[in-house]
Amino acid sequence: MLVLVLLLTLSAQEGPPLPALALDAFPPAARDSVARAQRDVTARPSDAAAVGAFGRALQAWEQWESAHQAYSRAQALAPRTFDWQYLDAVVLQRLMRPTDAAARLKTAVSLNSAYLPARVRLAEALLDAGDLTASRPMFEALSKEAVAEPAAQVGLGKIAALQGDHERAIVHFKRAIELFPELGAAYYSLARSYRATGRRADAEQALAQHARFGATWPRLDDPVLSAVTELRDDGRALLARGLASAKTGEIEAAIALHEQALVRDPSLTQVHANLLSLYGQLKNSPKAEEHYHAAVQKGVNSADLHYDYGVVLASQEKWDAAAEAYRRAIAVNPLHVRARNNLGQLLERQGQIENAAAEYRKAADAQPSFKLAGFNLGRMLLVLKRPDEAAAEFEKLLEPRDADTPRYLFALSTAYVHAGRIAEGIKRATEARQLAVDLGQTELAAAIDRELARLK
Amino acid sequence: MRMVSPAPSAAGPLFVESAAATGLKFTHNNGATGLYYLAEEMGAGVALFDYDNDGDLDVFLVQGGPLEAGNTSKTRVTSRLFRNDLKIGADGSRALRFTDVTEQAGVGWTAYGMGAAVGDYDNDGDLDLFLTSFGPEALFRNNGNGTFTDVTAEAGVSDPLWSTSASFLDYDRDGDLDLFVANYVDFSLADNKTCADPVGARDYCSPRVYRPVPDRLYRNEGNGRFTNVTEASGIVKADGAGLGVTAGDYNGDGWLDLYVANDATPNQLWINRHDGTFVDDGPLSGAALNAAGNPEGSMGIASGDADGDGDEDLFVTNLVGETFVLYENDGKGSFEDARVRWGLAQPTAAFTGFGTDWIDYDNDGWLDLFIANGAVNIVEALRGQPNPFRMKNQLFHNTGKGRFEETSAQGGPAFANAEVGRGAAFGDLDNDGDIDIVVTNNGGPVRLMLNQASGGHHWMQIRLAQDGGNRFALGARIGVERAGRTLWRRVRTDGSYLSASDVRVHVGLGASAAIEGVQVQWPDGQRELFTGIEADRTVTLRRGTGRAIPPEK
Repeated sequence: MLVLVLLLTLSAQEGPPLPALALDAFPPAARDSVARAQRDVTARPSDAAAVGAFGRALQAWEQWESAHQAYSRAQALAPRTFDWQYLDAVVLQRLMRPTDAAARLKTAVSLNSAYLPARVRLAEALLDAGDLTASRPMFEALSKEAVAEPAAQVGLGKIAALQGDHERAIVHFKRAIELFPELGAAYYSLARSYRATGRRADAEQALAQHARFGATWPRLDDPVLSAVTELRDDGRALLARGLASAKTGEIEAAIALHEQALVRDPSLTQVHANLLSLYGQLKNSPKAEEHYHAAVQKGVNSADLHYDYGVVLASQEKWDAAAEAYRRAIAVNPLHVRARNNLGQLLERQGQIENAAAEYRKAADAQPSFKLAGFNLGRMLLVLKRPDEAAAEFEKLLEPRDADTPRYLFALSTAYVHAGRIAEGIKRATEARQLAVDLGQTELAAAIDRELARLK
Repeated sequence: MRMVSPAPSAAGPLFVESAAATGLKFTHNNGATGLYYLAEEMGAGVALFDYDNDGDLDVFLVQGGPLEAGNTSKTRVTSRLFRNDLKIGADGSRALRFTDVTEQAGVGWTAYGMGAAVGDYDNDGDLDLFLTSFGPEALFRNNGNGTFTDVTAEAGVSDPLWSTSASFLDYDRDGDLDLFVANYVDFSLADNKTCADPVGARDYCSPRVYRPVPDRLYRNEGNGRFTNVTEASGIVKADGAGLGVTAGDYNGDGWLDLYVANDATPNQLWINRHDGTFVDDGPLSGAALNAAGNPEGSMGIASGDADGDGDEDLFVTNLVGETFVLYENDGKGSFEDARVRWGLAQPTAAFTGFGTDWIDYDNDGWLDLFIANGAVNIVEALRGQPNPFRMKNQLFHNTGKGRFEETSAQGGPAFANAEVGRGAAFGDLDNDGDIDIVVTNNGGPVRLMLNQASGGHHWMQIRLAQDGGNRFALGARIGVERAGRTLWRRVRTDGSYLSASDVRVHVGLGASAAIEGVQVQWPDGQRELFTGIEADRTVTLRRGTGRAIPPEK
């Protein structure tokens, strides 16, 4: 009996096995980083701290299944350690196992009820698992905490929508947006609830906002998770952080992180391509050019690289060189619509209207939703005194509506007028004016007013 | 011929893999060279169609080949057509055998192929073949004598964009089949980008690093030519990296709409406006994004009445870590992301799915689900092993109570073997009253999964026929009326991923063979009721031989 109890105790202490890794197949940076943690854990397989640290190293390198295995063992060895429960839950959410994640998060919250990210994740995991009854009171409690309230309002709105109470859902989604106006997910859910209640115009407006903000979500400080992310300081991690900085408009910080990434891993050719663009944005042409040439020297021959270089050259008014860069981009990818559009603009500058129109047409044909090319094509056709064809191009730009629609309508009105279709021109200009006013485009509205006065 | 589908032995697998044993010998060549070209990992598809009109399903398998420049057609492998030489003994025994007839049929296509679509575009009573590729498409007209003619140029249905799945449909109700072609991204060999997996190892890029290219809609002019109406129809107004497409009536107005699965970009629900134009209602309909408002991988599509309420629900396969989604239709074209409620989220979380369809594999009257899985990025647990993209296929049983239960474990060895699944096509290849499956594997052998599962349940198989145009009545809706409920199915060959399935409609009837009638809503909206139909056989319902039903008010 004693032997059996001892065996059971030992078994509980040992817990699930550690993950088996094919470390030889990892590239050096990842291999070195994970191997360090693996050596520790091999030496102390029953030390929860070493096992948990191994899990953190695996999580940092996005080895989700292996990290989950390591955390499972760490939990068995130290069931009352918050970090292993919480981090395992984060991994399980990434693996789309919300029921399992919720179970870990319940334990985590019972160990540290003050840790807000765990409470938010628990409410979300329960919602993802379809347990509306359990998630609602949690979101209600979270809605009383300022930093968590936007997420809580989205959660409460989703629950109301799932229960068919779209009017109530709308109240929650609108509150979330009031608190965090860039909350893309709230706009999407709001659009769906508007549609369910028959308010299609409101739905479309909300959808347009969702398209604008996408997956933007309010940031919630999470030091336990941040400590995992920060374990990595390899070139790729620095590159990823640099890209994140660039996305939020912190260009100088982005450049610094990219430069560090290059020091850490000179083989990362993408860093040169990004630095070309980033230095270009700061008008630091010498540095931009330096990175373009470095990328080319390392064998990069991508359309985007040549295109970005063309943009830098054009900003220096090196028109011929810019045109050549755009042509190189097009040679690599004939469907590169931005390169074609920009080449068209350079040809237009040189008075080569037919050639410019041809480039714009190729861009518009390759990607009709890239409306700028269609607009430029229409302009060229007006210059070439082919107003009916220009009108046909502008007409294509009217749907789906966006912030540029007043401009396109005004251009269409001009084409009609040039074609002698004055009444249609006035009608479209009036429409353009109204839409410009609705969208707060006062300067454009005033310009249209002047044109309307002239026409009448 | 009348036969109840055979009952499986108690311990027997639901499916038996029989490709090599039946002569269906084909291995996909993805042309992989270590340069991680995106096109290498996407193909290829399969078409099941009775090209020789002898009553059984033949198999067309799309081939890839070397991608690098400099390879000439002489060095290329070709797509293959296998004729089904099924023999049925007097005792009902079946000898299924395939013969490679590619050369004699004239369909030795050498392009780097992607997918196949099937439809009788020229209204001559046989099924023609449209092929998509990493490059120009091809249309092969069935000459009706066992051979095909490449009519791509005269039909005007080809462009250089990378095309994937396609659908024949009569969207304008003029009696002939039009053609929708899903196009993917602007990847080219010259512009191949370098990407890495999370640990920094070279891996295939996400399609997000390339730009989507527009899909195409071609209107059939009825004279062997098509007109590109992509712009006029409004199809150009939304971009997406198209991979899957299916036609169905999603808002219940009687007209065919289109649903396009777009990789990492919002799916499109093109609602037919009855005037030759479409409007994308995807995002507002709820079928474009997940519940959080984000686009997903979206590769293959199954369209069908999963919950038995008479409308078409959509199932879309996604990437590992996303879960596959069931969009449940409210009958008016508004969809709810119901993957969790139906039990499909967690079991699919660890998979990347491609070909799929609703199939009533056990003939119990409820649509079950098959999914061909295979990764597009290195599978964590397979790192360091050869071909680390392998995954197992999956089978789900519809309980009829709003839940699916995974039955892959009962599927047999065919479901235990991990491969890189891509295309999947569905149909009764041995004409024994149940649905079989052909699965293609990227860089691997084709699999033929013969159904052993139908458990003595009754069934019927319906082929529609109408004179004039669209002779196979693609897009028609069939309602098998039975005590208690009507089983609604649609005549289609599209859906899944890069593949075309049997044009015959298979309906499982469960324990009772009783059929009160079969209602057909023809593609032009006219309705007819057929009675006196018996179960456990294949029937052809010819337009005009049933009783006309007045239009719905």
